[in-house]
Amino acid sequence: MMLVRLKLNTMKENMLAMNKKNFLGSVCAAFALAAVVSSCGDGKTRSTGWEFSRNMYDPIAYNPDQPNNNFKNGITAQLPPENTTPIGFERFEFDNSIEEYERAGRELTNPLAITEANLAKGDALYHTYCAVCHGKEGKGDGPITQDRSVEDSRGSRQLENFPPPPSYQKSDGANSSRGGAMSELTAGKIYHTIYYGHNSMGSHASQLSPEERWQVVMYVQELQKK
Amino acid sequence: MRNISSVLGRLAKTVSVGMMLLFAVTMAHAQDVKEGETLFKSKCTTCHSVSRNMVGPALAGMSERHSEEWLLSWIKNSQALIASGDETAVQLFEDWNRLVMTSFTDLSDDQIKSIIAYVDAEGAKAAEGGGDAASGGAGSTQSSDANTLMIFGLIAIVVLVIIVIVVLNRVIRTLEKVIASNQAAIEAAQAENEAYEEDRFGKFARAFIRNKKLVGFSVLMLVAFLGVLGWNTMWNVGVHEGYQPVQPIKFSHQIHAGVNQIECQYCHGGAFKSKNASIPSANVCMNCHNTVTAADHYDGETSPEIAKIYRALDYDPATREYGDNPKPIEWVRIHNLPDFAYFNHSQHVSVAGVECQTCHGPIETMEEVYQYSPLTMKWCVDCHKTTEVNADNAYYDQLIEAHEKLKKGEKMTAAMIGGLECGKCHY
Repeated sequence: MMLVRLKLNTMKENMLAMNKKNFLGSVCAAFALAAVVSSCGDGKTRSTGWEFSRNMYDPIAYNPDQPNNNFKNGITAQLPPENTTPIGFERFEFDNSIEEYERAGRELTNPLAITEANLAKGDALYHTYCAVCHGKEGKGDGPITQDRSVEDSRGSRQLENFPPPPSYQKSDGANSSRGGAMSELTAGKIYHTIYYGHNSMGSHASQLSPEERWQVVMYVQELQKK
Repeated sequence: MRNISSVLGRLAKTVSVGMMLLFAVTMAHAQDVKEGETLFKSKCTTCHSVSRNMVGPALAGMSERHSEEWLLSWIKNSQALIASGDETAVQLFEDWNRLVMTSFTDLSDDQIKSIIAYVDAEGAKAAEGGGDAASGGAGSTQSSDANTLMIFGLIAIVVLVIIVIVVLNRVIRTLEKVIASNQAAIEAAQAENEAYEEDRFGKFARAFIRNKKLVGFSVLMLVAFLGVLGWNTMWNVGVHEGYQPVQPIKFSHQIHAGVNQIECQYCHGGAFKSKNASIPSANVCMNCHNTVTAADHYDGETSPEIAKIYRALDYDPATREYGDNPKPIEWVRIHNLPDFAYFNHSQHVSVAGVECQTCHGPIETMEEVYQYSPLTMKWCVDCHKTTEVNADNAYYDQLIEAHEKLKKGEKMTAAMIGGLECGKCHY
């Protein structure tokens, strides 16, 4: 009787042990399967997925790039009212015409002192905002004026070249379309061109503050000497 | 017979005259055109294109509009020609918004003639293209023929469909009659079939339920699977890593930042000096896209994606003028930090000198932008734990100075360490 009982007990234990093994095994298998399934795809999705308490994420104040019904044109980022001057800005009292360009060339000088810090800033700004057309050295050979091609989902193709601007450098002796050599453009003329743009060049006034424009002018005048 | 020979004779004459002309033209210009091309590309393309108006007018056909002598003096010094009171010159100057053309006193007569030869050759090529377009016009009459054909085809199809409907109606009616007469037999057969189906499914279900191990295993699998799925989902609530929404314009960072090597801040200048990296306003797009239209890939038309910028700005590329009804381009925001977390781009870009790619990933290879980093708090904290502070700036100079003063036991008020700055209380 005892023996039978013992035998039964051990059997029960064996069975439990086996169940445990099976249990663990299947849990592992299930987790592996789930992990494999959930790692499918390249991780890019068109939806933001689940979100919890969205109202903690959305700003109470308007973001500059948000639609806004409080304004007539529905935009949050409004232009400053006409005839106002933002803090840190100075008025540029010259019109966009050849006569005013010449006048700016005569009357304006760079208000900044030629210092290493200003030149370094001018270099960095020139590199960001100008070099893409005018080239790193001002020779008018920036990357978008050169032949180049792209290969993407629409296949391989040549990209359109931007018309190259004339070189600033003295050694190249290029002429400005508004008269005179490019290497002899005065600070005021360069500033006027940054402010209004000229020919294929657009206005860069929205991208550079007045101080930054003068820093760029300073750096361009260094390039003219080359 | 006489007729045919005279026609043939006339044809031969025109052909030979044409050939001679062509030969003469090619002989005269072959050597010039090549030189003209190099000169044209280095001197003229800033403002002119052969086939379309840019800053200056399209040049095709200029030697028909003006005499060679006039062109020579205009190109050498247009302002002098205008000052001399030449009527054509003054008119042209007024028509083009009094834009001054660069003087090319350094070009010799021969060089200018070779440029004119090149423009004429290119213009002729473009005109041939136009000829193709004209033959395309002839094709449109063909297509109107095709249209009548299509209409007849459609009528035929409609007639056919009506016939088919009538026939089917007949068939349905006879079948209904058959069903009505055999109702009882059909019901009996259906019942039998259902019983059989039920029996098969029931057998399987009973066998499955009886096997306790199988049931246990299945339930376990389901629970574990849902567990992992739920765990992943819960951890990713509010995490937008990999988010790649469809944008209103198929703008490719791969082309602009990668191939064109335009610096990130050319467009996202706010990253230097503000909290926001800023989405460029459309005038920044127009700095290049006033000339770049990608028309060479769209049969001379503006690329449809670039045309969206023009529409947003109410810009007419033909007249190069802006209308007064601009509409903002509604880009879809990808990176969205919760409002309770403050992040400042300039602090990271200008002060710490962090590269854009550190957080935004390989943007310059992305044809379509997606969120590269999770933007979770753990992600921020991990980076802040390992980033060493660059103490070489005025802020730390002041800080160290303040500490020195404290060490010496000098008096220091809150105002001396910025306690009077407006933003400390008012923000």
